[in-house]
Amino acid sequence: MTTLWVLLPLLAALLAAPASALAGYLRPSLAAPVGATLAALAFGASLWGWGMGGGVIDVAWAPTWEIRFAVAFDGLAALYALLATGIGFAVLVYSSRYLPLHLGHEGRPESDGVGFYFFILLFMGSMVGLAMAQDLILIFVFWDLTAIASYYLIGFDRHDPDARASALMALLVTGVTAVLLLIGALMLHAAYGTFSVPELARMVEPGPLLTVSGLLIAVAGLAKSAQAPLHFWLPRAMAAPTPVSAYLHSAAMVAAGVLLIGRVYPLLQKSEVLLDSFLLFGAASVIVGGFLALTRDVLKQLLAYSTISQYGYVVYMFGLGGKYGVAGASFYVIAHALSKSALFLTAGAVTEATGEDRLSRLGGLRKRMPVLAAASGAAAAGLGAVPLTIGFFKDELLFGAALERGPALAALAVLWAALTLAYIWRFWSGIFLGAPGEGTHGERQLPAALVAPVVVLGALVLVGGILVGPFEALAEAAGKASFASPTPVEPAYHLDARPENLMALAAYGLGALIVLSWPAWSRSALGVSRLGERVGPERIYDLTLRGLNRLSDWAHWAEVRDLRSRVAAILLPAGVLVGAGVLATPSAGAYRVGELRAGEAPLLLALAAAAVASLAATRTRPHVTLALVLSGAGFMLAVVYAFFGAPDVALVAVLVETILTLLFVATLKLIPYEVLHRQAELPLQRPRRKALISLVAAAFAFAVVWGALSQPAAEESVARKLLRLTPEAHAKDAVTAILADFRGLDTLGEITVVALVLLGVATLLGRGGTR
Amino acid sequence: MSPGPPGVPGATPDANPRAEPATSVMARKVARLLLLPALLVAAGILVKGYAESGDGFSAGVVAALGVLLQYLAFGREEAEKLPVVRHAVPLAFVGLLASIGVAAAPLLFGDAVLTHYPPPGSKVVYLGTLELITAVLFDVGVFLLVFGFAVGTVTIFARAGEAGGGHNRAGTGVERGEGRSGEGTRE
Repeated sequence: MTTLWVLLPLLAALLAAPASALAGYLRPSLAAPVGATLAALAFGASLWGWGMGGGVIDVAWAPTWEIRFAVAFDGLAALYALLATGIGFAVLVYSSRYLPLHLGHEGRPESDGVGFYFFILLFMGSMVGLAMAQDLILIFVFWDLTAIASYYLIGFDRHDPDARASALMALLVTGVTAVLLLIGALMLHAAYGTFSVPELARMVEPGPLLTVSGLLIAVAGLAKSAQAPLHFWLPRAMAAPTPVSAYLHSAAMVAAGVLLIGRVYPLLQKSEVLLDSFLLFGAASVIVGGFLALTRDVLKQLLAYSTISQYGYVVYMFGLGGKYGVAGASFYVIAHALSKSALFLTAGAVTEATGEDRLSRLGGLRKRMPVLAAASGAAAAGLGAVPLTIGFFKDELLFGAALERGPALAALAVLWAALTLAYIWRFWSGIFLGAPGEGTHGERQLPAALVAPVVVLGALVLVGGILVGPFEALAEAAGKASFASPTPVEPAYHLDARPENLMALAAYGLGALIVLSWPAWSRSALGVSRLGERVGPERIYDLTLRGLNRLSDWAHWAEVRDLRSRVAAILLPAGVLVGAGVLATPSAGAYRVGELRAGEAPLLLALAAAAVASLAATRTRPHVTLALVLSGAGFMLAVVYAFFGAPDVALVAVLVETILTLLFVATLKLIPYEVLHRQAELPLQRPRRKALISLVAAAFAFAVVWGALSQPAAEESVARKLLRLTPEAHAKDAVTAILADFRGLDTLGEITVVALVLLGVATLLGRGGTR
Repeated sequence: MSPGPPGVPGATPDANPRAEPATSVMARKVARLLLLPALLVAAGILVKGYAESGDGFSAGVVAALGVLLQYLAFGREEAEKLPVVRHAVPLAFVGLLASIGVAAAPLLFGDAVLTHYPPPGSKVVYLGTLELITAVLFDVGVFLLVFGFAVGTVTIFARAGEAGGGHNRAGTGVERGEGRSGEGTRE
């Protein structure tokens, strides 16, 4: 138990959300500082844990299902935990200033922010958990936790239908693909008997099983990382408040996808097919994302497509494989996270100061915001892989990995680097350079808390460009965890004509060419992007969703359109089907009329009374009387149960009839009296058809019951078995034991339905009555 | 909810508290006298459920009937002076959570859903007829849910009825009434 400290980062990160919510409950303004403090603590614990060399905790969780609570603080966990907590801290500091402003614009109370901090910290906690989890089921649990947190955060502006639709889209795309992850995990478990990733990595052999299950898991990761063609949810997720976007893109949601791939990479790399598919999806995402980023006008949209493209690189490098590919992918994640979070926070600050979020209406802000311009300039340079920033090395590693696979892939890499440079130049120069834009006349001051995180992150980008050592060590440690063997890479400046340097120079030249020639072909590029919106995957998503909605509407319509037809639709087919069964069964000796004993006369009497009440119900028109007549039939049946020696059933029948009558009458009270009265006066419609349907259904039901009761009871029936088991369940009453124990799951399902009905009633009728 | 405008015909009796109560002295007296016994019987049914007839469901309905009797005798505003009536809906969900909790708790120990403790065959602590086993807790959840459902639904209906009782709602009521001309069928 000496390694319990391994849990420290996880505990700090998981505690942050409830602690912040509790503080916020006491005083809303406390939520952010408490959350930020715990995030900082978790960051410190992660750093310390990494310094201590990591460790493993592996305890049984659900042994019968071979699920283990296995967490490890290895290189990969350290990388993503540091990102999640470190950038989480920066984002929380930024939010503490940004969110009150945002809520102010939206006219919402400050207390709404408490939920925001809760979910962003839950996000952080589940990211740390995901980073450390070694068991596929545990991974799945944390995976879905991030999806839930993202749903709330993206839909934070819940009065905005667009935000709600975007949140649903993110949840559906990542949630449905998460099920694929679960299926993949179960397939692997079925074949190898374990969910543990390290054990699987030792046992798995290449083959169709690995290809299929690996592909399922990979699709979950790719969808979460917004890789084409499942990329469309990410730009939509920009409906979230800016700090959320920054976090989502750099250290949380999107990073979770490549984290998963990195975690199961020891399995995946055994299959050539999987590696090739990574190349394909990564390349498609780089091109689609990079190209669309060039065409976007809204700041956050541009950055969103840039994220798709950047994670495309990461996936591509995983596909390239080899030590450069795997360690490079991890390094790329670090470099991108630092730059991208700074750029998002810049976009938020600029929009906050000017009230404008489109490039075409911004410009020339460098004089008004020199600090922000410089800091975000460093971050942009980092993304564009300019020397003296950490980004230079990410491209150096990309070129190195691509070169190992031949000149064609290397040429592609150069083209993509140029694309990145071009769109990020467009972003930065569009905001800060040139003539002041139309939308830049607002005179709002920028609070320091909105600039400081950008400065810190920008400074880190520059520090990484000079002192690359710690970042490299982290990436190598992560690469080692993914690659299952050391991955020494030496990113450094070399002042000679080695291929990587030449490729970087070529990328700069090509990037400049794209920027300069952009006005000439921007129009056609826009056209292509419009076409993509028309026929792209988002359209398919829309059509699917709309089709499902229509199906649900139709089912609802068919169900509630007409009570009479609905009852007939159940009674008639049921009667006919049962009747066909009765007619097909040999009937000799199946129907017996038993003898009637004198003591059973009261039973007959009760049955006759029930029959009379049922018949009377068909002729009764006033609604309240009808309710009473029906309950009369029910009470008579309760008497019958009592005669049969079933006190439990009789008790329940009496109680149910009583409470149902009350509820029935209460329901009638909702309808104005005149309406009820007029209804009761209306003539019966199609009485013959109704009678026919009832008779058919009733006759066959009668035949079936008669036939069933004519059979002698089986020797060892289910009932007998349950009766025998009752004492073992510490019970003397079999009915209760059945309800609470033997068939407890049924009871659970039933009470859930009851609770749902209550929820429906409360939602439909609560708050101001019948609308 | 605010009482209906004075002088509107068809307004509910409790719109004017000074008006003649809708129920007789006898009914009110009996209702008041029966509340405590009903709750006691419910508690008895719940506690003895494992030994004799009755279970959480029956207990919940009996308790709800005792409370609903107050509704019938005194009207909504009087009945809502009981705290359980005001919090009936949350109570139902507390019950559901309790039952789901009991059902899911064994997962944490690696057992199947709804494994009850102590396991079959081992010793059980008795408090009178009450046995301390998790199945009883499950039943308590059912009790709370059923009670909360019955009382909560009637409370919501009563509030909605008062809010929609005036003339302004009559129009929508007519349309809705005509929409279900086949009214009167029940399982």
